[in-house]
Amino acid sequence: MSVTFRPPWKGELTPRERFNCQMRSEPVDRSFHMEFGYWDENYTVWEAFAKNGIKHEWEANRAFSFDPIHVVSGWNCVWMNPYFERKVIARNGEKVTIQDHNGLTAEKFESHSATIPHYTKSSITTPDDWLKVKRERFDPTTPSRRPNVAELIEQHPPTRDYPLGIYAGSMIGNIRDMLTFEGLCYAYADYPEMLEDMVETACVLMENYLDAVLGRIDFDYASGWEDICFNYGPILPPKFFEDVIAPRYKRIAKKLTNSGIDLWYTDCDGDVRPLLKVFLDSGINCLFPYEVNSCAHPGELLDAHPGLRIMGGVDKMQMIKGGEAITSYLETLVPYVKRGGFIPFCDHRCPPDVTWENYLFYLDEKERLFGRLS
Amino acid sequence: MSHLYEEISAALQRGKQNDVKALVEQAIAEGLPAEEILNRGLLAGMDVISKQFQENEVYVPEVLVAARAMNAGTALLKPLLAEAGAKAVGKVLIGTVKGDLHDIGKNLVRLMLEGKGLEAIDLGVDVSAEQFLAAHKEHKADAVALSALLTTTMQEMKNIIGAFEEAGCRDEVIFLVGGAPISESFKQTVGADIYTPDAASAAEECKKAILARK
Repeated sequence: MSVTFRPPWKGELTPRERFNCQMRSEPVDRSFHMEFGYWDENYTVWEAFAKNGIKHEWEANRAFSFDPIHVVSGWNCVWMNPYFERKVIARNGEKVTIQDHNGLTAEKFESHSATIPHYTKSSITTPDDWLKVKRERFDPTTPSRRPNVAELIEQHPPTRDYPLGIYAGSMIGNIRDMLTFEGLCYAYADYPEMLEDMVETACVLMENYLDAVLGRIDFDYASGWEDICFNYGPILPPKFFEDVIAPRYKRIAKKLTNSGIDLWYTDCDGDVRPLLKVFLDSGINCLFPYEVNSCAHPGELLDAHPGLRIMGGVDKMQMIKGGEAITSYLETLVPYVKRGGFIPFCDHRCPPDVTWENYLFYLDEKERLFGRLS
Repeated sequence: MSHLYEEISAALQRGKQNDVKALVEQAIAEGLPAEEILNRGLLAGMDVISKQFQENEVYVPEVLVAARAMNAGTALLKPLLAEAGAKAVGKVLIGTVKGDLHDIGKNLVRLMLEGKGLEAIDLGVDVSAEQFLAAHKEHKADAVALSALLTTTMQEMKNIIGAFEEAGCRDEVIFLVGGAPISESFKQTVGADIYTPDAASAAEECKKAILARK
């Protein structure tokens, strides 16, 4: 028997109707109710998870009765195929040295995953390395790149009542993951043509995928991922985004809008402010799961950029503090939830130093403030 | 002859490591003092880059290639500086705290510290209080720079400062703390001395504090 920690919020609209209305600033019965998941540690540290055998995000989502939302990822269609073989190269106490699926050598903890691996070496440092990897792993004619659209339609029929997104790519985040942070910076400085060829490769693969899927499934939004900013701003200069990335975003945006998708979010932590204009001008009009701590209160961005939407934006630091800190913070979000184009949830995966009690209090306060809007 | 200093600085700002190497070699051949080449050429160039980085006029790639050029020049000067008995402004131990493998911010701060003429001893990632303490005993550092990116690992900073207190050497060093979840109030909570929101000002404040103690 599955456990229920909280009953579903009451409402008249279907999750799909609610999501679409809320993100387009149309009247809704209540806020769309979702969260972005948890660190792996929460599944053992939070006793209620451990005791009830909850080990995955989808199980937690069901137990908290969140509104359902899905995305079609197309992961094997739009980037490397095949990926590099994942393997352990060496073990050293509680750490292992691995080769990951991007061909990076990395050191990581074997037992926990909160900290990202410590990347030490990429398979690509020169244009010759890139040409070899491109030939072996980025061939657009590889048969397994072709999406099985019939299967997708069966999984997500037109009668569905939940919002469905289509992954619309990463034009630079995946490249960073393939080169390492420093590797990307040196590539930008030493081999700009190679870097642009990587971006173009990513764009062409994405376009091929969209051509195969769009028009056959009625998507509600597009999702993306970059994670290309840190708390000082973007890793690469905004001019690079304007000159190299934006033209490719625009090509993707054209395909999305032609098939009726007018909402496109990108997942980009850190201080995204220097890139917001590029994003908005190129068709990316939503940030997800918008992180407060290294950037600003979501209201600051929403006020400054009409047309921008945000998903996330609940400062996890306040959730760690608990009680009054949670209530006060959520109250600052009320006008933005009412205005529309903003769905509040924890501003990344919820960390284990948010106690179970604080998390439940947060959910209850969220329901009190956003569980009935009209 | 002093135009060479400006040329070294300019080449470094453009990230041209081969040009920097050639110009430093020329400066040495012309008999310019190594310490002057370092201060008026290499460090002056890094200072410009560091300020531009602080003002968002340049980004991480420019900093990395400038630092790479600086290292190429410094490598040529090192034996001459040692021979002349020149010493760095101060020594700083730097590392990401135990349980945390993030190193981007830490590496940037290290580059900025070196750009200020400080000797940065990089202890890497996942560094325990005992390792920081042992490194201090070995190197007699002036400052210790602690980095953390996670709300769970930033608590380790308190343990490290506590370990220095227990060992009776807290007052021998200046503690800098940094990383995405770190704030001025967190700095006070853990009893550190310096918090700045960015790498360039961390290095600047660190240098100031070291010089003030000397």
